[in-house]
Amino acid sequence: MKLGLVIDLDTCVGCHACATACKEWNGASAISGPLTDDDPYGADPAGVWFNRVRHYEVGTYPASKTVNVPMSCMHCEDAACVTVCPTGASYKRKDGIVLVDQDKCMGCNLCAWACPYGARELDPSSGTMKKCTLCVDRIHDTSLPEPERQPACVLACPAHARFFGDFDDPASQVSRLSAERGGFGMLPQLGYKPVNRYLPPREPPVVARDADERGPASADAGSALARLVDAARRFAAR
Amino acid sequence: MKPALSVVLFTVLSGAGLGVLALTGCVALFGLPWLFPERLPHATALGLALTVAGLLSSTLHLANPRNAWRAFARFRTSWLSREGVFSLLLVASAAMFAALLYAGADASLRAGFAVLTIALAWTVLVCTAMIYAGLKPIRQWRTPWTPVAYFVLGHLSGALILLGIARVDASNSVRLAHLCLVLVVLAVAVKALYWRAIRAPRDALTLEQAIGVPQGVRPAGTSGTPTAMQARLFDAGHTGRTFLTDEFGFRLARRHRGVLLAAFWLLGIVAPLVWVAGAWWQTPVVVAACAAHLGGLLAERALFFADARHTVRLYHGDART
Amino acid sequence: MIPTEDRALPREDKSAQRTHYTTCYMCACRCGIKVTTEGEEVRFIQGNPAHPINRGVLCAKGSAGIMKQNSPAKLRKPLKRKPGSARGAGEFVQIEWDEALDLLSARLAKIRATNPAQLAFFTGRDQMQALSGLWAQQFGTPNWSAHGGFCSVNMAVAGLYTIGFSFWEFGAPDFDLAKYFVLWGVAEDHSSNPIKIGLEKLKRRGAKFVSINPVRTGYSAIADDWVPVRPGTDGLLALSIVHVLLHDGTIDFAFLSRHTNAPWLVVQAPGTPDDGLFARDAGGNPIVFDEGTRAFADAGGADVRPALFGTWTLPDGRRATTVLSLAAERYLDSRYAPATVAAECGVPAETIERLAREMAHVAFKEAVELPIRWTDMWGRTHDSVVGRPVAMYAMRGISAHSNGFHTCRALHLIQMLLGALDGPGNFRARAPYPRRIPVRTLPENDPAVIFAPDTPLKRMPNGNPTKPEELVVAADGTPLRIDHAFSWGSPLASHGLMHMVITNAANHDPYPIDTLLLFMANMAWNSSMNTTGVREMLTRRDEGGEYAIPFLVVVDAFHSETVGFADLVLPDTTYLERHDAISLLDRPISEPDAAADAIRHPIVPTNRDVRPWQDVLVELASRLKLPAFTKPDGSRKFADYKDFIVNYEKLPGIGFLAGWRGADGKSHLRGAPNPKQWEAYIENQSFFAHHWPDSMRYYKFANRDYLEFAEKHALFGTPPVAVTMQIYSEPLQKFRLAGQGHYAGPQPTTAADRARLATYFDPLPFWYPPLETQRIAADEYPLHAITQRPMPMYHAWDSQNAWLRQILSANHLYMNRGTAAAQGLADEDWVWVESHHGRLRCRLRTMEGVEANTVWTWNAIGKQAGAWGLATDAPEATAGFLLNHLISELLPKAGDDPQRRSNADPVTGQAAWFDLRVRVVKAAPGETGVWPVFPPMPPLPGAVAAPSRLRWSAR
Repeated sequence: MKLGLVIDLDTCVGCHACATACKEWNGASAISGPLTDDDPYGADPAGVWFNRVRHYEVGTYPASKTVNVPMSCMHCEDAACVTVCPTGASYKRKDGIVLVDQDKCMGCNLCAWACPYGARELDPSSGTMKKCTLCVDRIHDTSLPEPERQPACVLACPAHARFFGDFDDPASQVSRLSAERGGFGMLPQLGYKPVNRYLPPREPPVVARDADERGPASADAGSALARLVDAARRFAAR
Repeated sequence: MKPALSVVLFTVLSGAGLGVLALTGCVALFGLPWLFPERLPHATALGLALTVAGLLSSTLHLANPRNAWRAFARFRTSWLSREGVFSLLLVASAAMFAALLYAGADASLRAGFAVLTIALAWTVLVCTAMIYAGLKPIRQWRTPWTPVAYFVLGHLSGALILLGIARVDASNSVRLAHLCLVLVVLAVAVKALYWRAIRAPRDALTLEQAIGVPQGVRPAGTSGTPTAMQARLFDAGHTGRTFLTDEFGFRLARRHRGVLLAAFWLLGIVAPLVWVAGAWWQTPVVVAACAAHLGGLLAERALFFADARHTVRLYHGDART
Repeated sequence: MIPTEDRALPREDKSAQRTHYTTCYMCACRCGIKVTTEGEEVRFIQGNPAHPINRGVLCAKGSAGIMKQNSPAKLRKPLKRKPGSARGAGEFVQIEWDEALDLLSARLAKIRATNPAQLAFFTGRDQMQALSGLWAQQFGTPNWSAHGGFCSVNMAVAGLYTIGFSFWEFGAPDFDLAKYFVLWGVAEDHSSNPIKIGLEKLKRRGAKFVSINPVRTGYSAIADDWVPVRPGTDGLLALSIVHVLLHDGTIDFAFLSRHTNAPWLVVQAPGTPDDGLFARDAGGNPIVFDEGTRAFADAGGADVRPALFGTWTLPDGRRATTVLSLAAERYLDSRYAPATVAAECGVPAETIERLAREMAHVAFKEAVELPIRWTDMWGRTHDSVVGRPVAMYAMRGISAHSNGFHTCRALHLIQMLLGALDGPGNFRARAPYPRRIPVRTLPENDPAVIFAPDTPLKRMPNGNPTKPEELVVAADGTPLRIDHAFSWGSPLASHGLMHMVITNAANHDPYPIDTLLLFMANMAWNSSMNTTGVREMLTRRDEGGEYAIPFLVVVDAFHSETVGFADLVLPDTTYLERHDAISLLDRPISEPDAAADAIRHPIVPTNRDVRPWQDVLVELASRLKLPAFTKPDGSRKFADYKDFIVNYEKLPGIGFLAGWRGADGKSHLRGAPNPKQWEAYIENQSFFAHHWPDSMRYYKFANRDYLEFAEKHALFGTPPVAVTMQIYSEPLQKFRLAGQGHYAGPQPTTAADRARLATYFDPLPFWYPPLETQRIAADEYPLHAITQRPMPMYHAWDSQNAWLRQILSANHLYMNRGTAAAQGLADEDWVWVESHHGRLRCRLRTMEGVEANTVWTWNAIGKQAGAWGLATDAPEATAGFLLNHLISELLPKAGDDPQRRSNADPVTGQAAWFDLRVRVVKAAPGETGVWPVFPPMPPLPGAVAAPSRLRWSAR
């Protein structure tokens, strides 16, 4: 089993719904909650988030593009954060999810150094590292209705830019989407085999223009009006 | 990366201590005349003390130290775990070694623990350095020069400290002085080659690679393959700081970098060189020279951290690592 | 591969958790939410999968509702300005509700008994206009409105006077079938999640998405085509598209003939009172020239074949021309040719031509046909519904300009030419629209009624005037309302002019008021132009030493900047603690395929001494014995708001909530009050949706089954008639005639007002430079300055949210990188931003995705220190700033117009926020820090301390 996410960069509008839904679910989750917020109403607010959305521009005006990139743990197949962890707090489950055991972590930060994606954050209250759990406490929870056994971020995303599933199953939605749209993992050259797949922006559709042979629409108004009147008369005469 | 004092201190003190231990082991094993026999256990104890001080300093870096005892669990995959295991063994071995020296124990026993201590000291040096060199997201650390430099500098520190002890006693340590000079030259070469290696942008990763959208966009109304376009950060998703910006976002001002570099060369390299060449062996001078050298290494280590550009910085807007 | 292992995981104890359904309130999208509580705490808020608006998704604001609920900025008890303290100092004492209500009702009773117009009651971002408007009407004051006058009125009035429904509130694009979608001037706003859901559908289906917007963020980020237009020139772009469509002849003759007034004959008799009005037959019906019978005929006739172009002589000898002839003559003129407009609007001519031709291609060559049987109002049954699948949507970027009304009408003109309205793949109407053009409600304008003591108004305070007689002015032309709505200066001000209330009240213009009651409107900060000036006017004293606005009541749930200026603060509940009715009589949550409404009900207890404002309104109405709230025997008619919602009937069988009516709860849309109606809603996840059968879904404006059904259920007036869309707007022409001096009725009394009407009440849409631009030296202020709402925040209302403010607690001014480089400006530079009205200092950031002549910032991030439960050194106060300081509520004086003019659209009075023109200058070394800075607000008595570390976990 290889559980993970597909994130569609073609439809992500950068609204931060995924980031906030994650924060509220995991804040009260038994797995890693609470997620500390330091100075929440003060001059220097900084909290623990598992999912962050960052915004980039590509190209130059007026042909620039804005890309919104949500990032959370990639649940890598070859997760360095697991191998560097000295205490064994960081581990990978058989279903592919990488977790931090809050009872074992000593807060040395090495896993954060090993993670190229910034997926892990130190919670200053607990002194432990925390990260996306792929909502392990939702996806296997039979007390939830079946359609809701998904990560909170996937359920919340208003642009339906997030999908959850098993990449080991070629028929799963995540596998199919990734295959159809050329899903890519981030920084594959580092060799961690990130499982999450990002779908690149689609090619803009081309609208066939039968008016290509029409010239600029600045011809003399009189003849344009005459054509119009003629066409209208023919229509009325049908 | 922000140079954390606890970690910087740890590697410098520990490195020096391990260098001392490796060299005292050699002295004992090969019967080198550098130190008077009655001085050897003190030197060994000093090496052990420096190592332990360094290790303790490193635990200050932990946010949840009550789980520190678990740090030996992942020996099979984690350099930090290995460093922990071997450090423990090293401390035990060195303590035993020192005790044997103090007690004037059986020569073969002393030799045995000398070999063990040397081997363990070298192992810990390598493990410590590999904690950093093993991290793929940090290009400036992921080079063979990292463990090589740490090894050489640790031995340089150790040799200088031993030389200080030796010359205060006025023991026969000319060869030790030569060793110090050789190590200085090696250290200069290794650091220079290291800095040259990491300056090369060949293997630097770019922001475009990081977000995976290097293919750019096609301006509306045109056709054909879009050319690769430059990317830049528009908004990091937070207007304040985060753990990631605190931990990885450290920016060293150019003049501060110059100060650290100067401190390394002047205090870490030139001062000991001058001291050895000038052969001033009064205790205060010895202490000052060794302290200056260690101070210079603190600067070098701080630079090592400050120069590290983790890939997560790309996601926060850096153009390249 | 690394080894894997499973370990036991801690489990969440859900034994104390319960599930509830209610409606979100973070913006006016009003998504359905499922709230999991744990004891008295909220554990989780998610979208309700069954809800028609959001179908299970939820944006960042909704997902952060827990931190809204837990904010230390919540008001806790009624407050009275501390005796001896000055207004605005923010010093209060706590009082009991009894004292507060006694105080207020006594004052209101006195006002009502002397001159009810002395009460000005204006509501901000609420969703209860139907109740508050009724309350104001019953009280007898015309000085009521919600905030639409500074928000969306241009879209509403343009739509309701043109197509019978409108962008923004009363329609939605058909994302399921559209093949080409154009978004005009839309950034995050409400209709938030439906747009996100819809855009994904569009892209997945391969439809093309074009975004016309000066900034490329948010929705525009994922657009296939981003068209950076100069702010305020969208109308020029739109009419140039019209030019291309007319030039190419790609227009829908059938649609124009049957469903618009394109063929109607317009009298050409300059200098007479009928000039420019429709030629009518003896029965008063507009006439056309029938090509079949070669004679004039009633335009509404079933078998008429109207000529779309031509000029004829009427029986009485006057000449008459078709609407479409007049339109074609205007828009085919080279003034609107792409090559002419390109430089002005910043869009290349080839792009304008391409956009128009792509729309035409999709509309006519890629039409969709659904096998749906339907009958039109002329009795013809059709076997299918044909759609020209071009859809559009437009919001603030069009609205917030002094030319926004005409620009919006220009967009509707494109839609009418393409035959792309309320069909499959189009922008479609949402119940209770479409309605007659315009809806037949008139604002109260009889001074004898308005100023009569203890007398309700006969009509509602707001309405839709169609001629000068219906303005709310005295015989000498002076306005009768404090906001000057429905005056010669702002005739079609259907949503009032909330942004002028404080200025006019402080200046006693046209008369002094006694009490200003503001509900959930941050007028002392981000909801006003000229913030510093407004704050001064709130505390201004007249010659006698009294405050120019004697009494100020502020109702809010949180400690906003405006609360600091109150004389009386009435604390409201949060959205999880109250009952609300999101009603079809108000701004409904309907979708094109379903009429819908919804409720809120308390999910968590109110653990402080606050009361829901609606309950307070009902209480005040009862104490004042307002007739609609009082039984004939003088006793109270409604116990509380819940009772009012259940039992109040606007018309027989029509109440605020449409679902589960009737004594048995089985009638929908119309029925007797059901005492268990609230329970029925709660049982049904707090919303009601009536899905239109297929035969009623499309072309509702001409759909007989729909219109007859709608009339029976009071969604459409009596009798049901086909709605003919108005390319040419006769009400506008009547006002124009009044300006020209030819109208046979009331006319403006000043030359300046005449000139305004003569110019701006053009019955056909046209483009003119925004009014501010006309009155300043444009080259001194070369840049346009606008704001956008960010997706994780909505206006002022989210900085008290501990999670959301981590995303945004400060703002920069964004400028095009090339433009900045040319000026020698770089990222993080401190700059002065200067307009004709004021200056501010802030930090600059450069970016690619902004039109080269435009600067922008996020809306309302800057806060006054100490407000919203934040520390006085919060970044919102030290690094955030408002653009509002540069915007005046008044236009600069002009030589030919001595009157002080509202910085607003001359037709509707819509506040022209985005007309702002600025220059940006690098600050001198040492000039750092945001400016202006305001003194911190003192904490309120009883305020809870904000924690320095939050470890929220619901338990």
